[in-house]
Amino acid sequence: MYNSTIFSRVKRSEYKKIAEITKFLRKNDLNIDTSVEEFITVMRDSQIIACGGIADNIIKCIAINEELRGEGIALSLATELVNLAYERHHSHLFIYTKTQNEVLFRQCGFFPIASVPGIVVLMENSNCRLHRYSQQLATSRQPGEKIGCIIMNANPFTLGHQYLVQQAAAQCDWLHLFLVKENTSTFPYVDRLRLVTEGTANIPNLTVHPGSEYMISRATFPCYFIKEQGIVDNCYTEIDLKIFRQYLASALGVTHRFVGTEPFCEVTSKYNADMRYWLNTPELTFPPIELVEIERLQHEGTAISASWVRRLLAKKQMDVIANLVPDCTYNYLINNPNIRQKSAGTSSEESVITVGEL
Amino acid sequence: MKIVKEAVAGTLESSDVMVRIAPLGGSEIDLQLNSSVEKQFGDAIRETVMDTLAKLGVTGVQLIIDDKGALDCILRARLQTVLLRASDSKELPWGALK
Repeated sequence: MYNSTIFSRVKRSEYKKIAEITKFLRKNDLNIDTSVEEFITVMRDSQIIACGGIADNIIKCIAINEELRGEGIALSLATELVNLAYERHHSHLFIYTKTQNEVLFRQCGFFPIASVPGIVVLMENSNCRLHRYSQQLATSRQPGEKIGCIIMNANPFTLGHQYLVQQAAAQCDWLHLFLVKENTSTFPYVDRLRLVTEGTANIPNLTVHPGSEYMISRATFPCYFIKEQGIVDNCYTEIDLKIFRQYLASALGVTHRFVGTEPFCEVTSKYNADMRYWLNTPELTFPPIELVEIERLQHEGTAISASWVRRLLAKKQMDVIANLVPDCTYNYLINNPNIRQKSAGTSSEESVITVGEL
Repeated sequence: MKIVKEAVAGTLESSDVMVRIAPLGGSEIDLQLNSSVEKQFGDAIRETVMDTLAKLGVTGVQLIIDDKGALDCILRARLQTVLLRASDSKELPWGALK
């Protein structure tokens, strides 16, 4: 008979226990993920033998003591994690895990949706949800030879965004615009969506789509750190772009993806370069997509960007902002003093999700 | 019985079954079965599921079943539990389940 196995839940605030979990993860070549809100630990003889964490709808930081693998602990742990996620009202679950765990999680009802061979795999707890989403997208398909796509955060919507959409739409038979759904931006998703819709209303060959968890989201760009940081950064873009090309672009018949040039941010310009590669490479069997970089709109010699607007907002320089944003955004900023305060408080904090924005 | 929210019941452990349910628009029953004994008992499992749903008058749901070789009685029990959790009723209509 083996010793009793104890499952417990550990909240982020329980520092002492979190420190133990961190140590255990380190031993298993994982770093603790700061976005995890709650962990489940499996203890035996007051030692952690396995753990897993939940951040919204993403299960991460899973490790099982090597000597105990094969005992079925993984299935018990997965059960507890799924139950915990449901209790927290999350039922669309993702797992971002090392390739060697893929088989294990297949047994737990998770299916791979994209992977970087030999390194990481993104799985979700349904074998048809993504397929359904792309079927639903396919109903918005438009005829034409050149079908464009833009994914933007618009945090907030600037003249630069508006210019990019206009330029792209002018080059295409039809343009599909997706708004990043993740609500980690300064400006709430509903407000961003409204401003983009208003600010592009006069473009006839454009569909504005709500975003989804399948594009530039916490799931496709997890803050999940495996030790070799460099490799993981590449993996983020690779997973995100593979899902885009395989499921979303092929559903809509997208032939071109448009982005603004990135003169400032190294990460974003790297994302643009990765995009050029993964959207076009014959390594993948799906129809290729050409990346089109459009020179950014400038104001007095400086490229207009949402981060510039946010900085000005923090300094309450509304007179300068008036030159950088369309009327709809300007009125919104004037009428929402709370937002202005909020952006003042968080001006330096940029999440990884803002990567790829203008 | 009306299904109004998502719910889960059961475990992924050997000889048990985890059932997840979500309401769907319309009257479709979308059943996804992953079972370690699919080849031998897949049809029997589906029959039990459809039978339980029919007896309780449940339609318009998505059911995802991860089975690790549960006995028929266990499967019925897990199904009844998940249906009760996902419905707006407080009690199972036991008479209908005979």
